[in-house]
Amino acid sequence: MKRLSTLLVLLFLLGSALPSLAQEMMDYPSDLTECEVDLTGETINIFHFGDLSGPYAFITQPVVSAVTDAVNYWNGRGGVCGAELAQIYEDTGGSREAAQSAYDRFTSTYGDQLDLLLLYSSDDGELLREQLAADEIVSFISAGSIESLYGEDGQTPGWLYASNPLYINQFGFFCQFVAASPEVFPDPVIGFVTWPNAFGRAGTEPAAREYCSGLGVEVLTEPQFFLPTDTDILTQVQNAIDGGANIIYTNSLATGPALIAGTLVDLGLEEDIKLAGVNWVMDTTVGILGQRVLKPNGLPSVDGMFGSMPFLWWTELSHPAVQFVYQQFTINERGPTEQNIAYLVSWGVVDSIIETFIRTVNRVGSLAAVSGADIRATVDAMDYAILGGLMHHRFDEGMRDATQNRIAVMKFANADMSGAATGPGDAMLVDGPAGKMYLPIVVPLTDFMPVPQLRG
Amino acid sequence: MTEFINRNKRQLTWTLYLIAAVAIALFLGDQLAGKKAARIVQTLISGVLVGGVYGLVALGIVVINKASGVFNFAHGWMMVVGGMIFWSFFTVSQISVLGAGLLSSATMLMVMSTVSWRNLREGRNPLIAIGGIIVLTALMTVGGIEWQWLHALTGTFAGAILTGLAVERFAIRPLIGQPLFTAVLMTLAVAEVLHGVTQIAWGTVELNLPVFVDPQTNSRFRPIRLDAFRDVLDGVAIVRVELVIAFLLAIVAFVGFILFFRYTSVGLAMRATSEDQQLAQSVGLRVRVILAITWAVAAFLASIAGVLQGGAVGLSLNISFVALRVFPAVLLGGLESISGAFIGGIIIGLVEQFGTLINSSEQVGTNLAPYLVLMLVLVIRPDGLFGEKRIERI
Amino acid sequence: MANIHPAGVFDTTYEEDMSVDRTTRDKLWKNLAFAALLLLPLVSVSGPLGLGWVSDQYIGLIARISIFVIAVQGLNILVGYTGQISLGHAAFMAIGAYGSAILARELGFSFWTALPVSALLTGLVGLLFGLPSLRVKGFYLAMATLAAQFIIPWVLRYPLEDLTGGTRPLSVPAPMIGPFASYADDAIGADEPLAFQAGDPYFVDVISVDLTAVAGSYPIIELINPAGDAVPYGDFYMSIAEDSDGNITGLSYIASKAGEYQVLVRAQNGGEFTAVLRRSKALSFATDIAMYYIILPLAVLLMFLARNIIRTRTGRAFISVRDNDLAAELLGINVFGYKLRAFFLSAVYAGVAGCLLAYERNSLSLDAFQLDTSIEMLAMLIIGGAGFPLGAMFGVTFIRLLQEAMIPTLRPWLSDWLPQLLPFVDAVNITSAINPILFGGALIVFLVLEPRGIAHRWEVFKVAWKLRPYSY
Repeated sequence: MKRLSTLLVLLFLLGSALPSLAQEMMDYPSDLTECEVDLTGETINIFHFGDLSGPYAFITQPVVSAVTDAVNYWNGRGGVCGAELAQIYEDTGGSREAAQSAYDRFTSTYGDQLDLLLLYSSDDGELLREQLAADEIVSFISAGSIESLYGEDGQTPGWLYASNPLYINQFGFFCQFVAASPEVFPDPVIGFVTWPNAFGRAGTEPAAREYCSGLGVEVLTEPQFFLPTDTDILTQVQNAIDGGANIIYTNSLATGPALIAGTLVDLGLEEDIKLAGVNWVMDTTVGILGQRVLKPNGLPSVDGMFGSMPFLWWTELSHPAVQFVYQQFTINERGPTEQNIAYLVSWGVVDSIIETFIRTVNRVGSLAAVSGADIRATVDAMDYAILGGLMHHRFDEGMRDATQNRIAVMKFANADMSGAATGPGDAMLVDGPAGKMYLPIVVPLTDFMPVPQLRG
Repeated sequence: MTEFINRNKRQLTWTLYLIAAVAIALFLGDQLAGKKAARIVQTLISGVLVGGVYGLVALGIVVINKASGVFNFAHGWMMVVGGMIFWSFFTVSQISVLGAGLLSSATMLMVMSTVSWRNLREGRNPLIAIGGIIVLTALMTVGGIEWQWLHALTGTFAGAILTGLAVERFAIRPLIGQPLFTAVLMTLAVAEVLHGVTQIAWGTVELNLPVFVDPQTNSRFRPIRLDAFRDVLDGVAIVRVELVIAFLLAIVAFVGFILFFRYTSVGLAMRATSEDQQLAQSVGLRVRVILAITWAVAAFLASIAGVLQGGAVGLSLNISFVALRVFPAVLLGGLESISGAFIGGIIIGLVEQFGTLINSSEQVGTNLAPYLVLMLVLVIRPDGLFGEKRIERI
Repeated sequence: MANIHPAGVFDTTYEEDMSVDRTTRDKLWKNLAFAALLLLPLVSVSGPLGLGWVSDQYIGLIARISIFVIAVQGLNILVGYTGQISLGHAAFMAIGAYGSAILARELGFSFWTALPVSALLTGLVGLLFGLPSLRVKGFYLAMATLAAQFIIPWVLRYPLEDLTGGTRPLSVPAPMIGPFASYADDAIGADEPLAFQAGDPYFVDVISVDLTAVAGSYPIIELINPAGDAVPYGDFYMSIAEDSDGNITGLSYIASKAGEYQVLVRAQNGGEFTAVLRRSKALSFATDIAMYYIILPLAVLLMFLARNIIRTRTGRAFISVRDNDLAAELLGINVFGYKLRAFFLSAVYAGVAGCLLAYERNSLSLDAFQLDTSIEMLAMLIIGGAGFPLGAMFGVTFIRLLQEAMIPTLRPWLSDWLPQLLPFVDAVNITSAINPILFGGALIVFLVLEPRGIAHRWEVFKVAWKLRPYSY
């Protein structure tokens, strides 16, 4: 009951902006390929496993919710080409041992049925890369590391396909953006203040530094690391600033970007030092946690933080894909903590999986005859706007990560929901669990553009 | 030669220590030479303040170890549960009477049945229990959101006692008389269960716990800027208010516990119990009750630490890992020493911050320096800085 | 207790008293169990006999259990027999794993030499971190090993980043015997694809092209695998040799997938060359089943060795150090020396286990060797029974079966009906709570019921069985 009372009014407000949604069910936003084969009586399983109870669970957990909702939606409409959808998943708690065991269990229990697997973490991708290739199983992953997608030499495309650009490419893309906006970023020097794991370190490689300095953007050689358990990171932030940085870039989630932003406000440098990050910093949790500290101008500390946004976000409600997912989110009475990027993207991934299966079955003739190699052939050839444009599924020759990206900025909604607030006066304040709270929105600053390829 | 060494062992040892100390000082001096004074002062401040939080976490581990000899691996999850309970009461404007009543009933049930379930029926005990339930429930639900501190503190108090007693009753008590190892392992199992309970009750979330907020602006307290020393320090150092509050709370807790263990009969009984459980029982101490009190107290300490950490950073399951980071502090101070836990916490806080100042691109501060210091202390003082000296050969 | 025998069997000599298998029946059962385990992969689904009696997942599971049995047995020597707690065992495994991987990658060691060398190396590092046992004991010693648990991964991660790849995964070649002498040499013409049949998962073909340039530029070699894809450059096995000009003069590739391969040698810039395709056979251990036959016998051998160490003077000294170090010293035992020996042996076991883990997964990551793994291994040992020869085996098997067989079986069923039972709780929360609650709950129940470990119960059971029908 406590949960219900903490339901953020966020949902309600977003919903009220779209009164029409409440009444009529929206059509499915994407043009799926026509079924040529009737699959009535058969089942298409969506296999996935990952961290549902471990350190990253707060961002990956909504994958299960989204896939559950999508499966129920499709089965309620009579299935995909008549075939029932089902999901089979496992919780690994973020441990490699458990991931290996889950993979073994999946492959030995489902054998031929397992041709397409959804993974969450690039760590699992690295572990299973060779095995997926040997077993001929295609895997969709949200964001893979260079090693998981392209092998140790960075040149060998495997069986994993990532829906995000590589983190290093996102960083290079950000450098492009910085170089193109000298009025916002005069004499840019970027310093990394980031988590020390493989995810946090992505982008600190020399290749990225060289690329950026070629654009006139200096990047400090020494990354500053902090841990998710750190109470105080003044030292790290000041190290970066003493090193000359006027832009801080972070690969961290949730409390990470919020902590950096708060530290900048503490130091009184929120106007002088810009904050930017990987696509995961553009998330609801960061927007809420970032309100712990307000800037002198009255807006939350993360107001004005830049980040990659390779898909659409919740606030881009003019797009039918977001409207549709939002409606499903409301119908299924999902909680505020699930309204994050994973829920949105997972609907897209399910759409992509369905489209892949329809195309493959149309070509092969029956569901039973589908093999991993067939799926791969489909995925390689597919050029498809997921949910009509939420993401784009297109992997050119030898590419395993997404090639399109945007830069967005985190803002907070103004009182009439027409745009971003400029101060506490015109900001939308809603009753949250901890008193009044601001409404985070993500404003794209660029169109989708190709990212530089920096994996070297 | 050997004779000389044997005769002057003490002097030689101290000479060696001195040489080591000078070497370390020279190294640090060299590394810090290029830094501004403000940075060094800032690092000192951050280290001491963060160390206070570490000390508070370490205190909870030490208290249990002092009373029962068990090293508590579940402390981190007790922090999470305590912080989450606090959050639930603190941020919800209308506390459900049913939920508060259930929590207080469970707590009173555990409290009254600490010695034996039969106690529940004896004499006036049922009345006391019912009275306790009513009082606790009333304190948790009275008034609106403006009473949130009262609600949250009562709720956390009851929740912590419930957690501590339940852990003791169902997991630790059945192991009295069994090898100590088994009890230590049991705390690992308890940690897993608490993890699961947290997931069920609150989900996998990252929450904003607005305890250190300025009521006017609803923003976290502004840090104190040491502008007065700007010229001396060649820059401005800042002091984060919430960390100062945490630090002061830690000091209060420490002084309280030092006095408690030294002067109260329960405290003395706890120390006796930790020395030898069977002996304590044979001189008439109620080992069960004493262990139960210890666990409840430790759970409450964990809750406070969880609230402070959650308030300073945000409440998430990651807080459970803070307890792991505190291990070197616990050991540095000595497993049985209350004041040692505090000083150990501060030393580790300083070591981490200075390590980070010198080199944070290789995690020297968090992953290397505390453990090197730990090794060094172990070699010089095997019982920690303030641990009880045990007269025994090794 | 351990020496109770069936009626009619009496120990009359010291040898009989100390024997591991006192009766032929003991011996028979053990050998039968070992033989059954050895036969298991043959009757598995992807086994060579194609019988499909056993699911493949259990082959991998048993292999992973065996690896951890080795590691935990090492911990048993240190904790169970010598009474010194270690919280750094996973870090020692990391040394074995990274040591063997680096030996293979950088120095071209084969698995068979990398295994003992890395194990020895781990032993020496273990010795180093055992030194504080001169001054400290009990939990303080545990914390010295805790320092090892953080310092060793730090050293692997930062100062040795060039070798270990830091946080990046490190791939490890599969163990191999061979390649033997080539069985087929074919000349390849310029720009003419040469197709040939090769490949087998166990007896792999090592394909190499020997090139000699007669004139001009060196040609480009392409290899097409049975799926029709060009084999990526990075997959060519280590021995891409280059001459002084940096040109490729040969390459080799391990074909493990049976089918038709094609080799194409393209001339460049009018260069002329002679090329010869060589194929030779090698025995590869890349598959789970083949790896099983390295891991399982090694685990049994090391278990047996540990069992025997306990029966030697060294083992008795370990136990005396554990039971009463003062008395041990009075008996003339060099307590510190034996503690160090225990650290060394324990680390060697961890090193072997780490090496096997690296070669079984073919991919290494420092994340696998964190503090939680150390603590988990300690938990396995205590669950199984510290100080019992079979404690490690029971503990690892119990925990792994719980995690990988019991919980996954219960899980779908629980995630179906638990949300109906607790309608006010979000179903997603229940989903993610099932694993920790089941695991922790099972441990609590188990520890309350059997605080001395499974091996203790096993001994009690054995006695009861031998005394039947008059067991008391």
